[in-house]
Amino acid sequence: MSTKRFKTSFMKDVSKTLRQNIRDWGMYIALLTIMAIFTITTKGVFISSRNIGNLIDQTGYIAVLAVGMTLVIVIRDIDLSVGFLAGFLGAVAAISMVSWHLPVYASIPVVLGLGVLAGLLTGFLVAQMKIPAFVATLAGWLGYRGALQLATMSRGTIIIPSDAFNAIGNGYIPDIPGIGILPGVHKLTLILGVVAIALFIISAINNRRKMRAYDSKVLAMHLFIIELVFVSALVGAITWVLAGYRGLSWTGVVVLIVVIFYNFVMSRTVLGRHIYAVGGNPEAAELSGISVKKVTYVVFASMGLLAALSGILFASRFKSATTTAGTLFELDAIAAAFVGGASPSGGVGKVTGSIVGAFVMMSLTSGMNLMGIDISYQYIVKALVLAGAVIFDIAARNRARE
Amino acid sequence: MSETTPIIEMQNIKKNFGGVQALQGVDLVLHHNEVLGLVGDNAAGKSTLMKILSGAYIPDEGEIFIEGKKAHIANPWNARQQGIEMVYQDLALADNLDVAANVFMGREAASVKLGPISIMDEHYMGQETQRLLNRLKIDISSVRLKVESLSGGQRQAVAIARATAFNNKVTIMDEPTAALSVAAIDKVLDLVRELKAQGSSIIIISHRLEDIYKVSDRMMVLRHGRKVCDTPVAGNIDDFRERVVAYIVGARDDFAEGVGKQQ
Repeated sequence: MSTKRFKTSFMKDVSKTLRQNIRDWGMYIALLTIMAIFTITTKGVFISSRNIGNLIDQTGYIAVLAVGMTLVIVIRDIDLSVGFLAGFLGAVAAISMVSWHLPVYASIPVVLGLGVLAGLLTGFLVAQMKIPAFVATLAGWLGYRGALQLATMSRGTIIIPSDAFNAIGNGYIPDIPGIGILPGVHKLTLILGVVAIALFIISAINNRRKMRAYDSKVLAMHLFIIELVFVSALVGAITWVLAGYRGLSWTGVVVLIVVIFYNFVMSRTVLGRHIYAVGGNPEAAELSGISVKKVTYVVFASMGLLAALSGILFASRFKSATTTAGTLFELDAIAAAFVGGASPSGGVGKVTGSIVGAFVMMSLTSGMNLMGIDISYQYIVKALVLAGAVIFDIAARNRARE
Repeated sequence: MSETTPIIEMQNIKKNFGGVQALQGVDLVLHHNEVLGLVGDNAAGKSTLMKILSGAYIPDEGEIFIEGKKAHIANPWNARQQGIEMVYQDLALADNLDVAANVFMGREAASVKLGPISIMDEHYMGQETQRLLNRLKIDISSVRLKVESLSGGQRQAVAIARATAFNNKVTIMDEPTAALSVAAIDKVLDLVRELKAQGSSIIIISHRLEDIYKVSDRMMVLRHGRKVCDTPVAGNIDDFRERVVAYIVGARDDFAEGVGKQQ
């Protein structure tokens, strides 16, 4: 009798928490559902180590853009220029190595620096000149497209000869040699995964203990444990799958660093708080002494930096710069951010959500490719997923407000 | 500085917008631990006067003294640094942030500073906010609730709490009871009384004479950019309302500057 009562109250707690945090958890559940469906329909090929490894590398250059786009959307702006900016800067990277004979370690910082400059230029147009971001970045879209064509005009495709550069998009982290156990499994990847899980659990417990001091509404103990188990299992599963092929790719490392850094900035720092404040109520932020202008500059500069990174990842993956590199990246990044829970009206959006959004979109592509579904249907499916995610989001928010 | 030095004194404030004389030489005095009601018809100049005090407008003429010292108020942020906080009618809260984040907006407490990146001390801010809510007897179940999920009265309470959180000198409230339910209005008025009991000096702009009557020590009436009445709040509400309304609509206009200062 008492166990039964415990069970019903337990289920009630779970469903209540799920309902309250449905926007946060919904995406993870959606991603897992999509992956499960494709795993079944492709008889396990989708979840194979090789496919997941490829999936991460294919998502990388959109994922970093989606991270930057999240910040832009949070402050109620948009950036249409980043696709061709990424393509153009990828071409600059190629030219700097091929024609100017810059070494890789010089070429990459130069390109990243140019990305920041391009972002500051957009920031100048939006913050200083008060041009709506849509228009300012549409001009950028045209301009960078032209710049990309100019840069690649003489030879069409620029082949990148540097192995070190090309490893960013195609290589994997080295393994620890000389360990006999678990043959065929990438040990370093496994160790990193275990360390990540341990760090996550320690920081979550720490945080919960501190929060109890002033907030009565911390998650109930059993739900907290479920959360820990769920996240740990997810990280563990991804680690195991990746370790089964060639381990974590360098693209994966780059994406992880970007996500961890940006997630930290957005959730734990004063700058991140100011970005959300500007997105939630720009007038209030300004009256509170937050400079909306400065925040706008910072957000667009970071977007430019990530566009440069995206360009490097893309050029590296294809070991070349082409005249069409970056085409429509910006729309993929925007779609990823919206699928990941960013709100078009501003103030809402998480870096982690946008990454999940990017993986949802890329999983759809990968899974449907494996199933041999025609590209035209693929677009329609993705359209439905995007629209569905936003409808779900609005419905969840309206219910939370009641 | 003696106890009788007014905390705020505005002298002969004039402001024109194009050809319109919004304020034609208005004086305002606010004493320590006093609640002043500011009333008047639409376009009487009360919001303009308060926007000058809170730094949103610069006056064409006139001087402002804070605790007897001449003050230059260049912008809203500047006014806040000098201890003048305004609770705006449209609340100036960010819906997407929680209560603690709103209270500390623009003044986030940092635990570690690494160049341009400061790590927030969330736990300190949470605890301080909880303490603030307790002190002002504001009933909100968690400082981690997002402001969008609060009721109108709770939002107004958060906006007021935020204005008074950092030892300010003067709190200006622009229509704090507009668009609230009767129960919520009572709570906001209780909050004003609580603030006064704890030593705050407050100016309230309102159309609702009953609300001002309930909490103010003194009332000032503006009409067409001039001060037409400055009187302690006393007597029975009906007589008081009748008298003040006569000044608001211009049926009475027998106020002399010199007399006003004596009252």
